[in-house]
Amino acid sequence: MSEIRIYRRPMAARWWARNPTYRRYMAREASSFLLFAYALTLIYGLWRLGQGQAAYDGWLTWLASTPALLLHLLMLIAMVVHAVTWFEVAPKTMPKTGLPERAITLGGIAAAALGSLFVVALAIWWGAWR
Amino acid sequence: MSERRIRIEGLRYNPEKDTQPRLQTYDVPFTDDMSLLQGMQYIKDHLDGSFTFRWSCRMAICGSCGIMVNGNPRLSCETFLRDLLPGPVRVEPLENFPIQRDLAVDQGRFVDTLASVKPYVVPAQEKPLSAGPHRQTPEQLAAYYQYSQCINCLLCYAACPQVGLNEHFVGPAALTLLHRYNADSRDVGWSARADVANSEGGVWGCTLVGYCSQVCPKAVDPAHAINQNKAKSALDYFGLRSLLGGAR
Amino acid sequence: MKRSNEPFFWLLFGAGGMVAALIGAGLVLVTGLLGPVNLIVPGRAIDYAHAHAFAAHPLGKLALFGVIALILWHSVHRMGEVLHDAAHIGAAVPLRIVALLATLALGWILLAI
Repeated sequence: MSEIRIYRRPMAARWWARNPTYRRYMAREASSFLLFAYALTLIYGLWRLGQGQAAYDGWLTWLASTPALLLHLLMLIAMVVHAVTWFEVAPKTMPKTGLPERAITLGGIAAAALGSLFVVALAIWWGAWR
Repeated sequence: MSERRIRIEGLRYNPEKDTQPRLQTYDVPFTDDMSLLQGMQYIKDHLDGSFTFRWSCRMAICGSCGIMVNGNPRLSCETFLRDLLPGPVRVEPLENFPIQRDLAVDQGRFVDTLASVKPYVVPAQEKPLSAGPHRQTPEQLAAYYQYSQCINCLLCYAACPQVGLNEHFVGPAALTLLHRYNADSRDVGWSARADVANSEGGVWGCTLVGYCSQVCPKAVDPAHAINQNKAKSALDYFGLRSLLGGAR
Repeated sequence: MKRSNEPFFWLLFGAGGMVAALIGAGLVLVTGLLGPVNLIVPGRAIDYAHAHAFAAHPLGKLALFGVIALILWHSVHRMGEVLHDAAHIGAAVPLRIVALLATLALGWILLAI
């Protein structure tokens, strides 16, 4: 009796580009690189802050430059992608609540919008009244 | 009225003759009510008797006929040719499994991992037959009913990239059954299956791609079954198993 | 079956992800888009005096440390997953070392302000 030869297909190198669900997953996961970049940006800015006014003013000048603004725009998009996809999957990480999953997602996104609005409002107050 | 035809491209692999798979094209006449399975049966009955594929019930309950249809895991009995127009329709064996012959895959990995999750009630205390049957309220039944609907069709294994990337990953259906039994009030709960759940191949092998739940023909939602147990596994990790409610 | 140590890092990942989701966009807007060009958020809000006042205060330090450290740990967890999924590279451990070094550097920098 001849030996049965099973055939193992290799996994496609770019499997994550093959359907909308995989692409959405990879976009969600890849947003983390820009979130990491933002954390490093803040750490660097704090370091300049610790070095005194002249160093920090130089940092502020760079922040207003076109490359810096473009980078932050990308990081903003990454934060939004992160927030939306975070609450899309959040219902799957919780036991059943009786609420429809869509309600949890939309509630989370609303909380995120309010949270970010609050941060901006806080900054306006900090700059205007303090 | 002329006969309508659709082109079906089937992956062929004969383990006795072939060193690798190839695609073979068939022109299949069809009517609006025909499933893809019926189209494949036409090929076998009229065009090529060697074309090999699994099927049984024709009504999406046995779980035998899972294949890749144009790159997506589907049950061939539940997929209709009218929805695949104008064609061609590419049919291939389920992703992430080795091919035995044509569209039939070697399911050994699933069978082995299924055994490892103890997919049966491990009772909290042994009851003699004289004590009569277990009783469950509708709420107790609802806690696990959805996850008991799995027909072991393996579409979720084909959908899950972690099954392909991580040979130790137990996989969606097996982990769902792990949860199904943990959630059953007749079962002792978390402790019976903790070693599997807590391992790298257990819940921690899942990265919540979520495609498994999208392709499941029985709306079992394996992604939910697995990921609601990450918090439990984390509590267990920090020695807080007693907080897991119902677990002993 | 070997027990995974994922839970510890997963909790950090979850906390950081929640923080980033709830306030991340607002933070990027304030520190990187609106503040620097004095649009809606006055430029004063992030000038030396105001930034220093915030970071010098113990609560300010705590907030900055908590938010930035959690975002660090959240992002390295996911970056490790991307490298595993897309490039079959097991980079989880080196990335955690990077996150640890960045966290220590952050603490050092904040204590010096």
